Amino acid sequence: MLKKILLCLLLAIAPGFVRAATDAEARSLLAQAIGAASDDDQIKLTAQLPAAPTLKKGLIAWREGGVYLYDSGAAKIAYILDDATDADGKSKAFRIDTGELLKDPAGKPVLFVSSDLNAVDTSARLRRVIQTALDMLALADPDPQARRSAVMKLGMSQKKAYLALLEARRPLEKDVDVRNALDEAAALINLNDPATQAAAIRQLGDLHSIGSYKLLSTIAENPGSPNVKGARAALKQIDTYISWSNFYGTLFRGLSLGSILLIVALGLAITFGLMGVINMAHGEFIAVGAYATYVVQNVFGAGLALSPFGFSINLPGLNLSGARYDSYFLVSLPVAFLCAALVGLLLERAVIQFLYRRPLESLLATWGVSLVLQQSFRLVFGAANVQVNSPGWLSGNMTFHDVIFGYNRLFVIGFAVVIVIGTWLVLTKTPLGLLIRAVMQKRDMAACIGVRTERVNMMTFALGSGLAGLAGAFLSQIDNTGPSMGQHYIVDCFMTVVVGGVGNIVGAICSALGIGMIDETLQPFIGPVMGKITVLAMIILFLQWRPAGLFVTKSRSLEG
Amino acid sequence: MTKRETSLGALVAFVVIVVAPLLNALPPEESFFHLSNFSLNLYGKFLTFGVLAISVDLLWGYTGLLSLGQSLFFALGGYAFGMHLMLLIGKLGQYHSDLPDFMVFLGYPKLPPHWVPFKHFWFALGAVALVPGLLALVFGFLAFRSRIKGVYFSILTQALTYGACLLFYRNDFTFGGNNGLTDYKFLLGHDLRSAATQRALYISSALLLLGVYLFSRWLTTTKFGKVQRAIRDSENRVLFSGYAAANFKLFVFVVCAMIAGLGGALYVPQVGIINPSEMEPVKSLEAVVWVAVGGRGTLVGPIIGAVIVNAFKNYANRAFPDYWLMLEGLLFIFSVLFMPKGIVGLPAQIRAALSRPKREEEPAKPAAPAPAPVEAEAESV
Repeated sequence: MLKKILLCLLLAIAPGFVRAATDAEARSLLAQAIGAASDDDQIKLTAQLPAAPTLKKGLIAWREGGVYLYDSGAAKIAYILDDATDADGKSKAFRIDTGELLKDPAGKPVLFVSSDLNAVDTSARLRRVIQTALDMLALADPDPQARRSAVMKLGMSQKKAYLALLEARRPLEKDVDVRNALDEAAALINLNDPATQAAAIRQLGDLHSIGSYKLLSTIAENPGSPNVKGARAALKQIDTYISWSNFYGTLFRGLSLGSILLIVALGLAITFGLMGVINMAHGEFIAVGAYATYVVQNVFGAGLALSPFGFSINLPGLNLSGARYDSYFLVSLPVAFLCAALVGLLLERAVIQFLYRRPLESLLATWGVSLVLQQSFRLVFGAANVQVNSPGWLSGNMTFHDVIFGYNRLFVIGFAVVIVIGTWLVLTKTPLGLLIRAVMQKRDMAACIGVRTERVNMMTFALGSGLAGLAGAFLSQIDNTGPSMGQHYIVDCFMTVVVGGVGNIVGAICSALGIGMIDETLQPFIGPVMGKITVLAMIILFLQWRPAGLFVTKSRSLEG
Repeated sequence: MTKRETSLGALVAFVVIVVAPLLNALPPEESFFHLSNFSLNLYGKFLTFGVLAISVDLLWGYTGLLSLGQSLFFALGGYAFGMHLMLLIGKLGQYHSDLPDFMVFLGYPKLPPHWVPFKHFWFALGAVALVPGLLALVFGFLAFRSRIKGVYFSILTQALTYGACLLFYRNDFTFGGNNGLTDYKFLLGHDLRSAATQRALYISSALLLLGVYLFSRWLTTTKFGKVQRAIRDSENRVLFSGYAAANFKLFVFVVCAMIAGLGGALYVPQVGIINPSEMEPVKSLEAVVWVAVGGRGTLVGPIIGAVIVNAFKNYANRAFPDYWLMLEGLLFIFSVLFMPKGIVGLPAQIRAALSRPKREEEPAKPAAPAPAPVEAEAESV
């Protein structure tokens, strides 16, 4: 008991140590502890050690019997051996007190064979104290994530000895998540003690501790326990929390999947919805954007050598790195847009302008175009997928209340919002948008009052294609970039537009988010493939109910 | 059809059905006149493609319904027959079990119940036509009832095909997943790999094609055929004249699904495998290419298209594999833009071009039936 009080006191002043004690001081304190004469002195000194990360290696070695003493004549020097051995089986030695190489009085490094040496002895009591020091070290880790898992590890062990440690740490902790974890761990330990069990159960329930679910269920299922009721209530609380956090997780994933659908389908909503052109090559425009991103990335990096159709093209690289290299993605967005818009422009001039009145034929001709484009990708960039690296700020994620928010998913939602607003602004606030709407609503009348409808067609198609290119630039970050990548999206794109109601951008937004949401909700239950099939079936049935999609463009025309 | 064309057709049919198999069977292998087993097998495959092409054309060329689901019906027929062939392997498979190899591999305890009746040849033969027909009936009923037409019909049939394709790729769908059904040994007690059996399959394919052709010719000349074409040219007028256009369309759709299924059933024993890649949406589009190249709205056109495009594909895949897809795409664009009536319509097109040599080119008016409703659609407010 005395030891425990002492420990608490020491822990309370430990942070002062952490800041005051430099690494060198900490090391020499550890060396002193190892060199102390009696077991009791060793324990006392070890308990006083500051929580400095540099000590970790030495403490582990000490506990596991890997610390040796070197008699230099004047004093005994504690050291540990390097893991690596040379050809003779000898390894270098490092001093505990300085962390430097151990040298003999002549100044030459001393080498040892570990099997020849006798390690410093440790008693069971001492080893326990060393372990406590190590746990304390882990609790003071600068990384909150590591701190949290260290806390939970202590909690899950349910050893009463850790309680003091955790409670001492509690007031020092600044990170909210870690502080909650400390409470959770303490409650987990208290769970073992009949006296504190009831309170601990209540606390765990309030903390929505998913980690304690199993322990609580054992209590709830044990009819002899006085806390069955409390445990059940806590379990219920946790269940509610889990289902809410699942709900928000699904909502978020559905939103991001919907955003992806929206990004890929928005261009089609313009070319198909507004212009009535069935562009089966839409998927390949997405691929054009993705490949444009790939090229930009390589120009920012080490350059790119391509050999399409027997010509060889060498693109010099800028050899950037770090944040500058990561900024390639921002540059690639306009490049992807322009490339895809240009290809769209060519396609419109070469093929589609002859087929405005024959939508079925435009379907077939653009499918031919998609074959040509796919094969061109294969010949230029190779049949295999190309490697597009995500910039650092797109990878990684953050966790909030047990819901994981991936940065790329967050980005896609923002990206979709920006693109939708941008498209809306172009269509409603610019002269081009005015012309586009005029021509799409009444082509003949627009022509009569002097609108050059041919040109507007061209621009509209280029706009739609460019949007597909933007989608491709983004998809290159989360999906494989390959010659047939467009094929994966084309059916989804058409479904999104048809469900939304052709000629209606708001409809496309609603249907993209709806389809994404339904897909993500179904996936956990029936798997991704069956989810997709179910969504397709639901769409076919949905069109029974609303053949013209969610939002019908009102018209007195017979076929409208 | 003039008398001359009829006799020409009869001659071609005679050559394909009688002469080609005889050339395979009678002359010795080194003879100049000998037709190798490989070639005959290849031609047999083309003939089943011809059946598929007619089913596409009856819908697209005659009714104005561009179905992108015909490859699904073709593959369903193939699967139905493939199931029968799988059960005939018996204990000769890799695992020497009564179950088909893939079932042993995937750990099925016994034959799934829906496989059992496929042991009987006649049941399988019926399923070949009825399974695609039934699916077409259900899907067509839903689609035509809600008056889904034009490109929407195409997109929906494509979605159907895509969904089914995903389903068949799954291992737990009891149809062999990725690898499909293969390694057949016997058919009706004959060794499937013997030249004689393959010859018989070839002759069956040719007869099926002839039968489907004659049936379609008869159908299109009846009053029904007239309504069919009327729906293609102006569905609203047909509706306003008191015809239930949806029922007519449904009937054609189901018939065409059955025809495609029959073609698929003969395709499978000749190539020796059926897997989900046969029902990918791309395959449907390919069949549409054959029809477009051959000439839609005619019955000879699809057959010519199927044979020529596939023969060319066969050649190009060996001669310049890198460029085949590109050529196919270009061929497609070209035939849509410049040959609206396909190869069959080419002579008339050339004659027309020659008869007015000096005139300025007229605005590109499709000689092919331009679906009038679409104009209204494009201009709707």
